[in-house]
Amino acid sequence: MKIRIVVLLSLIGFVAFSQEKDTTVVFKKRVLESTEVDFLASYYNQNGSKSVVSGGIGSEKLTDIASNIVVNMPINDDATLTIDLGISAYSSASSSNINPFNSTGASGGGDDDDDDRISNNKVAAPASGPYGSPWQASSGASKSDQLTAISANYAHSSDSRDFIWNADVSFSNEYDYTSVGFGGGIATLFNEKNTELSLKANVYLDQWRPIYPTELHEYSIYGANFLNQGYFSGVTVLDQNGQSTTAYLPSAFKTIASVNRNSYSASVGFSQVVSKKLQLSIFFDVLQQQGLLSTPYHRIYFADKANYYIGQSQYINNYESASNSGVFKLADDIERLPDSRFKLPIGARLNYYINERFVLRTYYRFYSDNWDIQSHTASIELPIKLSDRFTVFPMYRYYTQTGSKYYAPYETHLSTEEFYTSDPDLATFDANQYGFGINYTDIFTGAKIWKLGLKNIDFRFNHYERSDNLKANIATIGFKFIMQ
Amino acid sequence: MIQKIVFLFLIVTVLQSCNSVKEYEKVAINDPDMKLSARTSERYETAFQVYREAAAGANGGKSGGGCGCN
Repeated sequence: MKIRIVVLLSLIGFVAFSQEKDTTVVFKKRVLESTEVDFLASYYNQNGSKSVVSGGIGSEKLTDIASNIVVNMPINDDATLTIDLGISAYSSASSSNINPFNSTGASGGGDDDDDDRISNNKVAAPASGPYGSPWQASSGASKSDQLTAISANYAHSSDSRDFIWNADVSFSNEYDYTSVGFGGGIATLFNEKNTELSLKANVYLDQWRPIYPTELHEYSIYGANFLNQGYFSGVTVLDQNGQSTTAYLPSAFKTIASVNRNSYSASVGFSQVVSKKLQLSIFFDVLQQQGLLSTPYHRIYFADKANYYIGQSQYINNYESASNSGVFKLADDIERLPDSRFKLPIGARLNYYINERFVLRTYYRFYSDNWDIQSHTASIELPIKLSDRFTVFPMYRYYTQTGSKYYAPYETHLSTEEFYTSDPDLATFDANQYGFGINYTDIFTGAKIWKLGLKNIDFRFNHYERSDNLKANIATIGFKFIMQ
Repeated sequence: MIQKIVFLFLIVTVLQSCNSVKEYEKVAINDPDMKLSARTSERYETAFQVYREAAAGANGGKSGGGCGCN
């Protein structure tokens, strides 16, 4: 009897212990409750007068339309997978002038090289011969291109949600450029999740398929006799006085041997909740790029070389004026830049919750690299909550940079230099950007399309003006849906 | 001078962090506009800035590769 009582007590104790153990299971909130889908689209246009394809002079007119679909889905309680699929299409006066001429010479080329893309859309040569202008778009196929990109990111959180690791892969492709990237990072939160420290590393293995300015491309194929063959067969080349000449010989030009561009980046991030209304973060990046860092279709005109043209001689004297609609200067070379660049940007964000109606968002970045470029970026945004659902946010951004030691304006480089570019993006300038945004949020996702509930609409518009007269506008709209 | 200001700012920040904010006190901190990252819809602006300016990185976005830009 005593034994039975002991066994019974033991069983009760075991069951009771088991039940007690079950009640200690800690509730774990899912990292992401349900799948989120973002649809994003943007329209961008710009205009300027320092086209790098034309050696630092000419139209920079460009329009770009881009869209992305970003799907962020929970894999399990702890992990998410984000797929980002994007496409953008641009049309550009500048890049159209890789081949600026409205028609070929006698033959139209007929070769089997990459210039076919440029020459396919040409119209028949008029009796007066081909002509072009850095101030006008040509009809060549290089006036437009598409970029497609896809990336995937997997993120995993610890049970306590204070340690996250992630890995990502990416791929993108343009007509003349392909990129493959991969990377990963970790983030840890401590101090009651008031402090976060993160590390990130990425590698991009990119490859160019070089396209050269037409005149240099033909020279690379036919050599010194290129004006009598291929694309330029029968075409008259003019000197500075508008006289026919055969002296044009871009002997400085050599095709590019190595077409790879590798980028290695590491990033350290620190963020801190300073008070109930103030938080900040600091990012420190280190970036090393190696390989072909110049762009193969950026023309260079040397100050110590004679000038040669194709087109109508009456426009030669006002070549640098937008009224030039009929003559194009032949390149001496393409831009040449070192095969290594080391970049050091450090940035900080500081956000302050002023009250229930206003929030202040600020950003600052200092940037330095070994091409002697230094820059400062500062931006400020003031979200104003008009109601539970609507927020408007005016914003302003200021940017300034010192020019690269390899930069010189149109036709000022000397042929004796080792490196040279007339890319205005590498010159000294400052820029102002200002605009506004409107945000609509419905946390109850009342509006639905199929199984997707609309949570958020974000629209923003910004105007950008550079001190060298480049002007741009960009409008973006984004829709966030929650899968239900 | 700038370095001193930054250093002082960091010290103040670290000292402030000793008074940690509890989760239930983070109503303002958790406001969507308080996120310490660029907005999702800002990505296209960042992309064109990377093309049109020499600087890149330290903004939480991509800092190199993937396009024929700098």
